[in-house]
Amino acid sequence: MAGSVVFRQEFAVKGGDFAKAGAVACRIKELLKDLGLDAATVRRAAIVAYEAEMNVIMYAWQGRVDLAVSPKEVHITVDDTGPGIADVELAMTEGYSTATPEMRELGFGAGMGLPNIKRNSDILHIDSRTGEGTRLKIVIRTNGHGRT
Amino acid sequence: MNTKNFHAIHITKDKCIGCVHCLAKCPTRAIRVKDGKAVIIDELCIDCGECLRVCPHEAVHSHTTSFAVLDAFTYKVAIPSTVLYGQFGTSVLPNEILSALRRIGFDEVYDLSSICELNCAATEEYLNEHPRPRPFITSTCPVVVRLIQRRYPALCGHILPIEPPREIAAKILRTILPKSLGVPPDKIGVIHITPCPAKMVSINSPATLAKSFLDGAISVRDIYPQILAALRKSEEDSLMRHLFPETLFSGIGMGWSLSGGETRGFKNHRAVAVSGIQDTMRVLDQVEAGLLQDIDLLECTVCPDGCVGGPLEVENRFLAKSRILELVAAAGEHAVVDQRDASRLYHKNFLSFDHPAPPAESHPLDHDPAKAIRMAKRREKIFAGLPKKDCGVCGAPDCRTLADDIVRGHARLDDCPFVTKEKR
Repeated sequence: MAGSVVFRQEFAVKGGDFAKAGAVACRIKELLKDLGLDAATVRRAAIVAYEAEMNVIMYAWQGRVDLAVSPKEVHITVDDTGPGIADVELAMTEGYSTATPEMRELGFGAGMGLPNIKRNSDILHIDSRTGEGTRLKIVIRTNGHGRT
Repeated sequence: MNTKNFHAIHITKDKCIGCVHCLAKCPTRAIRVKDGKAVIIDELCIDCGECLRVCPHEAVHSHTTSFAVLDAFTYKVAIPSTVLYGQFGTSVLPNEILSALRRIGFDEVYDLSSICELNCAATEEYLNEHPRPRPFITSTCPVVVRLIQRRYPALCGHILPIEPPREIAAKILRTILPKSLGVPPDKIGVIHITPCPAKMVSINSPATLAKSFLDGAISVRDIYPQILAALRKSEEDSLMRHLFPETLFSGIGMGWSLSGGETRGFKNHRAVAVSGIQDTMRVLDQVEAGLLQDIDLLECTVCPDGCVGGPLEVENRFLAKSRILELVAAAGEHAVVDQRDASRLYHKNFLSFDHPAPPAESHPLDHDPAKAIRMAKRREKIFAGLPKKDCGVCGAPDCRTLADDIVRGHARLDDCPFVTKEKR
């Protein structure tokens, strides 16, 4: 992303704050629409941002979403302090979930979060330490610059 | 900003005092106060009528069809929304209301509940044949369709492509009446009676039809006094009407105007009903984020409690709702539509959209993302310097919108009274 114009913004997410679920993803979606990115990219970013935001709300204590946008790429980096993911490979399996029955009752925890993020991004890096927290680095290439 | 869309909602400048009630309520932030008067931004307005509800000065009015327009037709047909049945208390039956409409000058009047049942059957058939995408969203509320086209363009393909009952009914009448009456099609006027200002928009610039099958929409509020007078004049007739009803009402379609009514007759699909503009937007945000895929059909209506909460009704919506629920209970599960007939019409594509609802043109800061990014950075800087009181004195509904207007060149920083004060 070096060398091009970049728009950056940071959003805080609080663990357990279900009342605000989706608020950050919504802001990101509105921003990307204003930035003139194509509809498919905006939709993918909205899905990714929502899943990442929900992961923080459901499992972590405190988190931060960093958005960086250039005409060619959308970078979404999510840092949280929380329990971490013990087995990243297992967490990437569709249907695997550690959600509590309460979360499932609210309609969350179908075990599609990380797989859904992967499906909608061009690059996904997961860096997690048990008992400390998780960092997700996501790159979505805008249309004409990414997957077809 | 040059493309002019048709709108039903307008501001009467003489009555507007430039207060902030409508400004704050508008869900798409389509209103600004310029030179002391409210102005509606054409391409943002979805004709939801929220401003009409809150204006304390009656400065917001809706363009519905006037009675004078009806004189152009030699044969006048009314198809009232089932909301009308809830407007006249608990002793007046739907059949009396329909015959009152005949007495005030309509040559023919048709009940919509059976067409609502037809729509319900066709919708289930469509869902059976189309496993994706999920959820589909109903097109009955014209404001929801316009909201999706403008704010959720990625969801245009989720709109279930079956026309709402009012258009299906008008289409059927247009097919059969000219032949049976021997009257030229353009001399037959088919008029909807509705509590909804946005129906005028869907008639004048339909989103999914080449041309609407309706000729106009009269508001419940405008026609109410005449119906009431006709009902009073014919009290002795009403006993006969009770004994000898001429229309058979559908128990499945009768509750259509209540939130959840569109899908009450569903047998095999999971449907969820949402009403109210804020909740509708919240749910559409979720659908856009890829959620709710376990739901087959979302019924969204932007008026509270469904069409029964439309801004142009007379009876308060709680009483109207209670009355309609009585009628629903009285009609029971009474079905008037033969499933095979519904299926035949459906497979002839008689009930389908002419074309899908197209996404509206987007309005990014700039169509060149590099320029747009620079403008967004400037916008953030401007917003950081604003007081965030969202007072509306600048003429924009909130500080974020003012910052947006400034970078787009529609407003100036010194429109903000707080910024100016600090400078002095």
